Amino acid sequence: MSDKILLKAENIDKKFGITHAVNNVSLTINAGEIRALIGENGSGKSTFCQMLCGIYTIGGGTFILDGQPVKVKNQVEANNLGISIIVQEMGTLSGLTVAENIFLGHEDPFMKGLIKDTRAMNNEAQRLLDEYGFKNIRAGAMIDNYNFEDRKLVEIVKATYMKPKILIVDETTTALSQNGRLELYKIMDAVRADGRSVIFISHDLREVLDHCDTISILRDGEYIDTVKSSDVDEDSIKRLMVGRDIGTAYYRTDYGKEISSEVVLSVKGVTVPGQIEDVNFELHRGEILGFGGLSECGMHEVGKAVFGASWNRQGSVKLADGTEITSIPQAIKKSIAYASKDRDNESIILNESIRNNAVLPSLDDLAEAHILKGRKLNKFAKEHVDRMQTKMQHINQFVSELSGGNKQKVVLARWLGKGSDILVLDSPTRGIDVKVKQAIYALMSELTAQGKSIIMISEEIPELLGMSDRILIMKDGKINGEFHRSENLSEEDLIAKMV
Amino acid sequence: MANNNEKQSKISAILDSDTFKGLLPFIGLVVILALMYWLTDGRLMQPKRLRLLLSQVYYPMIVAVGVFFIMTLGSIDFTEGSTLGVASIVVSMLSFYSIPLAIIGGILTGAAIGAINGFFHVKFRLQSFIVTICTMYLFRGVCAYLTTETAIPASAAIKALDSDGLKIGITVAVLVVAFFLFKFTRIGNDVKAVGSGETAARFSGVRTDRVKFFTFVAAGALTGLAAFVNVIKVGSITATAGNQLETQILISLVLGGLPITGGAKVRFSNIIVGTLMYTVLNNGLVMLGFESATQQLIKGIVFLIFVALTIDRKALKVIK
Repeated sequence: MSDKILLKAENIDKKFGITHAVNNVSLTINAGEIRALIGENGSGKSTFCQMLCGIYTIGGGTFILDGQPVKVKNQVEANNLGISIIVQEMGTLSGLTVAENIFLGHEDPFMKGLIKDTRAMNNEAQRLLDEYGFKNIRAGAMIDNYNFEDRKLVEIVKATYMKPKILIVDETTTALSQNGRLELYKIMDAVRADGRSVIFISHDLREVLDHCDTISILRDGEYIDTVKSSDVDEDSIKRLMVGRDIGTAYYRTDYGKEISSEVVLSVKGVTVPGQIEDVNFELHRGEILGFGGLSECGMHEVGKAVFGASWNRQGSVKLADGTEITSIPQAIKKSIAYASKDRDNESIILNESIRNNAVLPSLDDLAEAHILKGRKLNKFAKEHVDRMQTKMQHINQFVSELSGGNKQKVVLARWLGKGSDILVLDSPTRGIDVKVKQAIYALMSELTAQGKSIIMISEEIPELLGMSDRILIMKDGKINGEFHRSENLSEEDLIAKMV
Repeated sequence: MANNNEKQSKISAILDSDTFKGLLPFIGLVVILALMYWLTDGRLMQPKRLRLLLSQVYYPMIVAVGVFFIMTLGSIDFTEGSTLGVASIVVSMLSFYSIPLAIIGGILTGAAIGAINGFFHVKFRLQSFIVTICTMYLFRGVCAYLTTETAIPASAAIKALDSDGLKIGITVAVLVVAFFLFKFTRIGNDVKAVGSGETAARFSGVRTDRVKFFTFVAAGALTGLAAFVNVIKVGSITATAGNQLETQILISLVLGGLPITGGAKVRFSNIIVGTLMYTVLNNGLVMLGFESATQQLIKGIVFLIFVALTIDRKALKVIK
């Protein structure tokens, strides 16, 4: 591997509707490097690569190949620039011959005027197939005559014969037998030996460690880290994939706090079809109850269920006074607050002012005989937004202009203003910088000291360990383990219950 | 050269600013007024003309108030014309029994049609665009069916009520009440919140389904009230009553600067400025003696230019 940078990705970004598939990813790949790109499903690996080779348009940011910014419109253009991909799904076109598939979009050398010289094309294709060692595949035959694995081999030829600078192998090995895999590894090694590079996407960590020089990890669309294969083992990569945060200095340092026996909320037999199943727990006064698990474990739905926001919820969510929570307005009235993981859609109205966002849940309290006075609303909003030290120009500024951290401050300000006693905070520090994180953690401690109770749902294991009095780990929609706050509790203990 | 670019970007920043966009409708109204005054040698402002002009403002403005609330939600309603037609028929028929009954009947008819729209929009999660296009045809049909044999006459008693005082009174009362509700109660806040971000509004405790349903009901009721004003003026109802009213209202509100996406950037003044602008333009073109085909052509061009100038491209999204 040389020091020469072959590909540089700067702030690559892509959204599909509300899903932030690739979130501001920057990384560099050197010439002569085999780089693995790993992460859970939906972490954005494939989307990232498909933007590089023109299958998707680039949502934001720039790819710089060999010092030149590239913005590829389609795969043929990508091939011409030296980028090629072997995709996860079927990448060959049925109804065409093997040779036609290999030279799809690159037929020019075989054109005699307007007529295609089929024989020349077949001969060239057969020469390539023989050279790669795939002698059983006939260039002139229809691609449909071959099975999935052979078709993948044809795709490999198609993607590599023109010697691309960057070869992307997207989850191809699952379709190949051991022999096919070995052929592919040989080709990857040849690309590296030639001073060109490979981006290799795979879920098979053993394979990744054996055949790649370096590994980049993505999680939920965000870039996490790049490590050398020689420095890590399967376990440490897994931990990076599931979630880890650097530094723990800003968490709580107290241990052994007595949890009050006073139950403020009890959840019994709550089921939301397809999301969570028979969830039971109690929330105590002054407690931070952490919920952890993998992204799809159902913990986010627990927050919604408590807030009365789930569709089609069964079971009961009861307050200490016996009130059953069934709708959002009722939950708010009964002093429950909720900050969603999906902040921009569910927590805050982006195209609305800071003031109107801050007062929205408290409008009934602020009205005098149903009449709202602007001055009173302004004062209320300003007081609580200032208390959160929100960075803004004025309270009539639109929330869409604020950073993620300051948006979250507006969300918390509105619930502080409402004076809610039970706060459901789903991923409260998601996408928020260290400083604001610290402020949020401090606020959480302050609130629990006042006797308020917090349910904190988090994908960050250190955050769970660092802030919770009690932790419930969920798996496949069910509670799979309970832990009490302790210095001896480790990330591995929690992970073991998650997967 | 660099200086020039800087100047250009400054100018475009001003043109893009919300303040300028907010002022544009007023500028537009003044420009159109001045232009029409000049082109008609001042005839536009003769008392007699002015009265005629105002008489065309009343009922569209009442209807526009309801549509304003619907569009603030980010929704749309195409049924005003047919609702006005059906409600006018009800008002006319009931006017032979009692005037208060006729007013109430008109309002209830409108509210019922609004409830049908709201019900399908909210309960079946259908886009208001689709629902109201369907119901527009439905009630246009009802209107045509009831007036097939002959135009439906109203009683002499109701026609005797025709006076500028009453019509101005009703219109101003509607505007004042609506302004109060919009500005100083939860209703305005909730409607704007739904338009700006429905999901977030729901998670903030706004009963979004209820807000949407009752907004449609209220808008229907207002159209029913406007039907009363209409009957006073025209005296008998034909199949074409209220024809094309929905497009007139829609374009008036857009001319008035209402963002079609609804939400936080709507201004109550959009209703008044927009309706006046449309009426002045319409009357001016008639007075200038254009044929109706040419009038439509000119109106179309003016609307296109205006919408292209004022629309907020940043907030464009699908209408609910």
